[in-house]
Amino acid sequence: MLAVDKLHKIYDTRGRRVEAIGELSFAVEEGSFVCVVGPSGCGKTTLLRCIAGLLPPTSGAVEIDGQRVTGPPEGLAIVFQEYGRSLFPWLRVRDNVDLPLRAAGVGRARRAARVDEALGAVGLDDAHLAYPWQLSGGMQQRVAIARAIAYEPRVLLMDEPFAAVDAQTRADLEDLIRELHQRFATTMLFVTHDIDEAVYLGQRVIMLSASPTRVAEDLDVDLPAERDQLTTRGDPRFTELRGQVYAQIQKAKQERT
Amino acid sequence: MTGHLRRIGVAVALPVVLVVAWWFASAGSTDFYFPPLAKIVEVFPDTWFGPRMVDDVLPSLGRLAIGYAAALLLGVGLGVLVGSSRWLRALVEPVLEFLRAVPPPVLVPILVLVAGIGNGMKILVIISGCLWPVLLNTVEGVRAVDEVLADTCRAYRIRGKLRWWHLVLRSASPQIVTGARQALSIGIILMVISEMFAASSGLGFTVIQFKDGFQIPQMWSGVILLGLLGVLLSVLFRLAEHRVLGWYHGSRALEKER
Repeated sequence: MLAVDKLHKIYDTRGRRVEAIGELSFAVEEGSFVCVVGPSGCGKTTLLRCIAGLLPPTSGAVEIDGQRVTGPPEGLAIVFQEYGRSLFPWLRVRDNVDLPLRAAGVGRARRAARVDEALGAVGLDDAHLAYPWQLSGGMQQRVAIARAIAYEPRVLLMDEPFAAVDAQTRADLEDLIRELHQRFATTMLFVTHDIDEAVYLGQRVIMLSASPTRVAEDLDVDLPAERDQLTTRGDPRFTELRGQVYAQIQKAKQERT
Repeated sequence: MTGHLRRIGVAVALPVVLVVAWWFASAGSTDFYFPPLAKIVEVFPDTWFGPRMVDDVLPSLGRLAIGYAAALLLGVGLGVLVGSSRWLRALVEPVLEFLRAVPPPVLVPILVLVAGIGNGMKILVIISGCLWPVLLNTVEGVRAVDEVLADTCRAYRIRGKLRWWHLVLRSASPQIVTGARQALSIGIILMVISEMFAASSGLGFTVIQFKDGFQIPQMWSGVILLGLLGVLLSVLFRLAEHRVLGWYHGSRALEKER
């Protein structure tokens, strides 16, 4: 289980004090898929970096399976929005997926099997030997996702991973992520500013207020587990839920102004 | 393949024209200091493909290789160290800029005093010139490591040797190669200069000897040999660069297309 407890973060640089996160508390059940939405500039990325142990909180704590996060924890993978900058341009696709496994000390044969499986799962069976920059944006993000699942993480964090790909690719990647979640049962925390995406993907949607950030609402998405782009997005319940999230985000925006 | 041939053709065209022009312009020359090119070419094999190859040419190249390799190792090693620590960088960068600004040839007399006139001195001269471009470029390269990539390494707990190699050195490699290319031409110059002071063998020494002995065609052949060696080394450098930076040139070329 992932627990965020009274998390508070202030950036203090050159006399300018920015309260990025007011106070955040929530928990993510093991194996569940939770989306975090909020107005832009509300500290979503800050939250994710604190959870990943890349940024120390000013106060409060993040715990994964009861262990307090003080640095990047074991068994945590992350997919960044900037796929072009998070893959190693000097390594082939295969070696990009392989590198974290090497660092984790996984044996050679085991590594090869996991890399094969992960690249197969994201539909990149024939791109093993390409360099990332030879692939389209959507395919590069698939590589980053393959790298994350090959790592077999307990928690997978995603920071607006599809914000920079075109709409069609985005729909494909959303379905891919849902499928991977069902197959590997990884705990997923997915940050996005796209309301439709949050409702379509998540079992739960946590809405954040504008800065200083708090949890504005925590909504269970009671759509069926089997979803697809056509029927789910046409479901009246989907429309209702996205309306609810939209209203909340608007409220958060207005509170700020 | 035809594209390849055409590129080679374009690269070779001007040199061929210049050589032909030199050949005919100097053909009837009676000027003692500017002998006909035909004469220079005639003495070339006898001058260089005899004992001089073993006594002068190869030792010169050996010293260049050792000095250059040492400067690369030292420059990259120190550069990584300085580049990854902000306060160390602030501390030593002004000093480095000063040391880089000192023309290495003026160090020769000092190094002769300290290290004598043997191989050690000549190699030190080469190192003292080649080190700075490698070092300063490595510092720049290491400093410019992409933040997202660095975060990726931290999040996936890629540490130690893997991190140094796959994140730091590979990120900095385009800049390191730039430094190494500058260092190579400096190295060739210093190889010759270090042999012009108090030396008894080597390419630079031999050319000076021919001058002092009024063996002008031989002197010119030495100049040509040095030029050819320079070209050969830069071709070798390109081949090495192609291997090390294939990913870099590939991604840049693709970016331009898009």
